[in-house]
Amino acid sequence: MTDGPHPDTELTAYVTGALSPAERAAVAAHLEACADCRRTTDDSRTVLAALASATAVPPPVDWGRYGAELRARVQTSARRAWWARPVPAVLAGGVVAASLLLAVQGLSRRPVELASVEETMLGARLPLLQQYRVVERLELLEDLDAIRQLDRLGPSGGG
Amino acid sequence: MTQEISDEALCRRVADRDEAAFELLVGRYQGRAYRLAWSLLRDAEDARDVSQDAFLRVYRTAAGFRGDARFSTWFYRILVNLCLDHQRRGGWWRRLLVRDDGGAAADGSMLERQPAPLVDPGDAVDHAQVMARLWTAVERLSPQQRAAILLHVQEELPASQIAVVLGCTEATVRVHLHRAVSVLRRTVDRD
Repeated sequence: MTDGPHPDTELTAYVTGALSPAERAAVAAHLEACADCRRTTDDSRTVLAALASATAVPPPVDWGRYGAELRARVQTSARRAWWARPVPAVLAGGVVAASLLLAVQGLSRRPVELASVEETMLGARLPLLQQYRVVERLELLEDLDAIRQLDRLGPSGGG
Repeated sequence: MTQEISDEALCRRVADRDEAAFELLVGRYQGRAYRLAWSLLRDAEDARDVSQDAFLRVYRTAAGFRGDARFSTWFYRILVNLCLDHQRRGGWWRRLLVRDDGGAAADGSMLERQPAPLVDPGDAVDHAQVMARLWTAVERLSPQQRAAILLHVQEELPASQIAVVLGCTEATVRVHLHRAVSVLRRTVDRD
């Protein structure tokens, strides 16, 4: 046993050859002194060697048929409509995304535009407003609903 | 003596729609592609379809191969991603329910996987049982761990290339391999 911690992850990397020379030297030094880690390393090596020596053998394939199927798929892919091909599809997607973005931006701006229209209309009515006595009674022009209805009131005001 | 055209050069020709170059690349990689796909998916039909998908992807996107990595690494990345996507879409549960080429075929392949015969028949049986358990444990690993361990033991890729294939860091590959080997070691230790 050693005093330091066991380099668990590094032990597997040591076996699979994934360590840098410096890391490899450090693990090797640890292994010199640690029987537990030596056993773990040996077991890992055995497992990996067993898997490598008995690699999976899948069911056999008819390679002639495999190649024919693949060629047919390639030809079908080449004949695909232009709009279904990746580049036009991406372009179409971009156009749709841009349209959506503009629509969303348009919606978000709409209250601002409405407000500015309202202000313009109000401004256009200012000379008229001065003729209405009712306006004199409105404190600080707070009653906007009343202002909106001014057109329906007579110039003499009253109300 | 004629020098064999590199995979990378063939891939560039495929980008120019050179059918003969594509056929050559398929011929070089179809065995490996099907075997790796089968190791990950454990279904012959799915492995055939997904490995063909990978070649089809190569045909369509060969122009995107930058050549700063090896063709094999780029191809394995396409293939493994397609396998992992296939599993995520549910092909995996179907394999567990309908073992069309599983069952007997799986048992047969377990025997085919065995290394050179041992001297003592009793030992051979024990060894076959251990190997069967080991491969069952491989199948139960997480998809990323299974891909990492298969790319290491079957395709002999170093951790740096496995990282490129799986689209993660080398440190993550080390963790995948460590966890996978730990599980497999415990499987053997239960003897």
